[in-house]
Amino acid sequence: MLYLIPLFLGILIIVFVASRIAGDPVQLMTGQNPRITPEAKQILREYYGLDQPLYYQFFIFLAQLLQGNLGNSYAIRGGTAVTTLIGDYAWLTFELQLSALIFSLLIAIPIGILSAKKQYSKLDMSVTTTSLVGTCIPVFYMGIIAIIIFGYFLGWFPASGAHSILEDRYPFGSYILDGLWHMFLPAAVLTFATLAPVVLLVRSSMLEVLRQDYILAARASGLSERTVIYKHALRNALIPVVTYVGLYFGAMLAGAPITETVFNWPGVGRLFVEATTKLDFPVIMGVTVFITIMTLVANLITDITYGYIDPRIRIE
Amino acid sequence: MKRKKSTKSDLSNQNERKRSKGVSQWNIAWRRFKKNKAALAGALVIGFVFFLAAFDSLIAPYPPNALPAFYQGETRVSPSLKYLFGTDYVGHDVFSQVVYGARSALYVGFGAAAIAMSLAILVGLVSGFYGGLVDNILMRITEIFLVIPFLLILLVFLQVINAVAPSGVGGLSMVAIMIGLFSWASNARIIRGEVLRVKESEFIEASKSLGASKRRIIFRHIFPNVLHTIIVLTTLMIANAILVEAAVSFLGFGDPNAITWGQQLQKANEAVKEAWWEGVFPGLFITLLVLGFSLLGNGLRDALDPRLRE
Repeated sequence: MLYLIPLFLGILIIVFVASRIAGDPVQLMTGQNPRITPEAKQILREYYGLDQPLYYQFFIFLAQLLQGNLGNSYAIRGGTAVTTLIGDYAWLTFELQLSALIFSLLIAIPIGILSAKKQYSKLDMSVTTTSLVGTCIPVFYMGIIAIIIFGYFLGWFPASGAHSILEDRYPFGSYILDGLWHMFLPAAVLTFATLAPVVLLVRSSMLEVLRQDYILAARASGLSERTVIYKHALRNALIPVVTYVGLYFGAMLAGAPITETVFNWPGVGRLFVEATTKLDFPVIMGVTVFITIMTLVANLITDITYGYIDPRIRIE
Repeated sequence: MKRKKSTKSDLSNQNERKRSKGVSQWNIAWRRFKKNKAALAGALVIGFVFFLAAFDSLIAPYPPNALPAFYQGETRVSPSLKYLFGTDYVGHDVFSQVVYGARSALYVGFGAAAIAMSLAILVGLVSGFYGGLVDNILMRITEIFLVIPFLLILLVFLQVINAVAPSGVGGLSMVAIMIGLFSWASNARIIRGEVLRVKESEFIEASKSLGASKRRIIFRHIFPNVLHTIIVLTTLMIANAILVEAAVSFLGFGDPNAITWGQQLQKANEAVKEAWWEGVFPGLFITLLVLGFSLLGNGLRDALDPRLRE
């Protein structure tokens, strides 16, 4: 657990240095204003503590971070606290990414098991081929295709946004149904994109386990195929899958800018893209810190889950 | 009867001849690779894209960034014989732009992979061979790069570089360098693992007891034995780098002066309703090229890894 702290600090330092290479934040803040005087700039610089040495600024940033203060934005909704901004957008990102992760696991694990059980069958071949192709399609391309087919040609789902603008567009007048209706397309695309690598992993891990001696022993002692696969093999086969999902959830969150741009989904990913184009560093730092913490939490949950699946690795 | 006997002896003769000739590991790998249809298809796709990139100005009917459709009032025309993949809103011929995109994709793919793999090999070899404190420090750094929200940092760096020098420093090369610098970590870990595995072998022990220098052991014994892993990882890394570059361009952080498939998708995304062909074709080429490298990588793994041989 303690190893997470230096890890987190390392990431913070990298982002902090990156944000300072871009030059003077005050220049970025006031670049739009032609009437700004050097004196006013100096006052701003002192106000934000930018006249202090870099390491000192970093410690201030850390101290504020510990108090849950990520500073105020430069450009987006000028001067809003970054924590408020993230609070406004984070839920939509979670809604999308978590539902995609859960659905893809629910679909991928049975398919992977089935594919491994009938290795080299037609079913197995088509599953592995589809999954391999699936890992090669960029998510945004998948999204664009889905929007073209289901959003425009068929017109079944809205192509962008998280909610209808007008209330009379809500299906059956329900706000929740409207949200689900908007979420369907992005969640489906993200599920499919996540599905492919997980299927391949479950399959190969299952094949590996089925070759073990204890499976042979279980079969020899006359257990039914069902018991052997679901009770003896699956638990062991899931260990690498859990590791992967823990790491992958971080990658999914970091990939949020892509999915959210395609579907115009107002989550932290789009907030990040907007902040980056405007060089709004407090927001950039804030979102990065937020996503990094979430990634680390996901890794921690992974480590704890190990204990439940594999009694050999219990955290003390 | 006689015949049967003779064929049998012929066969055994052939086998003997083969053995006496001495078949190298590379020969065996090549023979296995040739049998793998998927891998050959992958190589074919890559070859095709290389062909497009090499002769792009001959294949493309219009010069780069030309606006043939604009002058004839044929913007956003659906695919036809005149415009194979249709035309976009501005008046580009989508087919020509897709052909010019091939060079960018390959350039970034190979460039980023070269940088990432050099770092990964260096870290993996040193970390695995020396162990101890060096290994500990290098692996902690590797962990940071593994958990880091890679795409976010990449976007920030690219935007910052654009802001510092607006005319686009290095353009595509900068994108390739950035992708390379941030995506070596997982490969370094795999190579380190392989080095650790080889290091325990008896022939290393033998070489050591014969008084071989560390340099000789690393370059003469360990490196050739992890080379097959490196080749496979490089191929997959190229595929990955092409995907990342496409994503970066798609989000609008790529080189604005280069013609890339991701950038074409970005423009298409703004107009999917009016012109599906603007996005479908460049995306298809990204998918095909990435698939080509993935298939090639998987095929190379099956062919090169001695443990996977039946």
